[in-house]
Amino acid sequence: MLVVSNISPIRNLHVMRPTEFLNSAIKDFTLNLNNDYRYLKAGYYVSMHAEVLGNPVIPSTENIIAASRTPILLLKASKAGIPTLAHLVTSSVKQIISEFDFPVVVFAVNPFQYDGFKIARNRSSLYRAFKSLSMNYKFAVCAQPLKGEMVSVKSIFGKCEDDEPVVRLSEKVYEVFKIPICKLHVQRVEGEVYLCGLQPLRLEEIFPSDLETVSTVISRMSSKGEHLVG
Amino acid sequence: MARIACFVEKYNFADQREAVALQNFQHAAEKMGHEFGFLFRKDISQIPKYDAVFIRATTDPLYTAYVVSKTAWELGLKVVDDPESIQICGNKIHLYDLFKRHNVPGIPTLFMNKEELHHKRLLEVFETLGKPIVVKAPYTSFSRYVEKVACETSFRDVARRYFRKSDVLAVQSFMPTAFDWRVGVLNRQVLYVCKYMMPKGRWKHGAKRRGKPTFVWGRTVALKTENAPAALKDVALKACEVIGHGLYGVDIKQVNGSYVVVEVNDNPSIYAGYEDSRNKDLYGKIIQYLVD
Repeated sequence: MLVVSNISPIRNLHVMRPTEFLNSAIKDFTLNLNNDYRYLKAGYYVSMHAEVLGNPVIPSTENIIAASRTPILLLKASKAGIPTLAHLVTSSVKQIISEFDFPVVVFAVNPFQYDGFKIARNRSSLYRAFKSLSMNYKFAVCAQPLKGEMVSVKSIFGKCEDDEPVVRLSEKVYEVFKIPICKLHVQRVEGEVYLCGLQPLRLEEIFPSDLETVSTVISRMSSKGEHLVG
Repeated sequence: MARIACFVEKYNFADQREAVALQNFQHAAEKMGHEFGFLFRKDISQIPKYDAVFIRATTDPLYTAYVVSKTAWELGLKVVDDPESIQICGNKIHLYDLFKRHNVPGIPTLFMNKEELHHKRLLEVFETLGKPIVVKAPYTSFSRYVEKVACETSFRDVARRYFRKSDVLAVQSFMPTAFDWRVGVLNRQVLYVCKYMMPKGRWKHGAKRRGKPTFVWGRTVALKTENAPAALKDVALKACEVIGHGLYGVDIKQVNGSYVVVEVNDNPSIYAGYEDSRNKDLYGKIIQYLVD
């Protein structure tokens, strides 16, 4: 198994830097570890290059794009049985108001904003959130009703530190999208949790304890040959 | 009878020739007994009501058009452009990497990432590709984000701008020609052929007027597909083979008697009186493909 990573050092693990891998033609199962898998960033290009070489790779470029585009994330997740709430992709504030009651959570669906979300509790805050996330009405946004509280958790190979329902959801999201390192935005509503969004982590958000988790998971994958079915 | 949604944005109707082409698609569909409706951004939730989606708005994995394509695909609808084609054609690094692996004849190309923007590497690049060279951002379309550079200073200037958005960019040999061939391919069959002429004194089909925000475009000269060189059509089909079965516009240069692929575009421009002038049946063929 070839591990390509921009996160280092990882205990007991030899990793290849993304730049080195992009200039190579190594044929092997590729595990792409990166804090940021966004489209056009090095993390994306590593998976793309692995696919062009014909290597099985985690994560796939298809999943990278799907996971970073909130409406596609929610559609694929709900098809796979992950709980999600109703959502609306639109470029009209009026449509959001007519479909959902306040408060609503709004995610950007544009090429430039990828982090976080905005909560609108009334009409004027929705207009403000919409103007900002649609980049002055140029792009669409993805709106979801806010029925409980929003929680953001760090997911490392689907493992996270939170209560049982969130942990189960995080594992399921990893099973479906296979994004090794990311942040999940979930909504907790009366004991149930719903997936709302996914975003990359900043390097400084990855702690030594997370690297321990990475090291343990990779050792297990190598010894059990789990990657063969990844 | 099938229900076809055509995803468009307002700018698709700004140019009269494109607006007429869209109407031609509508007439062709209706003549064949199908429903054809324009789908705008606010109507995305209506996608499940249709049988097929035809995307005419500019595609890129970061644009709404990709969300539409992927949503339709996940719902099991026939879609042109399909998400995989958008993913490959929308990123020239992906495209050229595939061309290299599958020996598609192309322009000599090197990839460069952010960490390689230093004097030693730039010297190597100029030594390998000569001067001037063409620097291309992966998301280039409509002749934008492609610039010619002849020295290290201008290379650094262009590269820094393109690196803001992408961590990797493509660098190619400069091959000036009077025109680029454009071969329209649908489902691995040639749909139309034309020549995209370069405007006088320019090296790209579309070039920005100095000091102005507007573009000057070269003429488009269409040919009957049966009159186009067979070797040209073969190269175009070979390039599309590594991508998929959809609708593509393959740009090809003729250099010293041989054909080299410049790039393959998903969502190729179709303007009334231009691409269709010698192949009027292209509208019907695309509609037929959508409903098959």
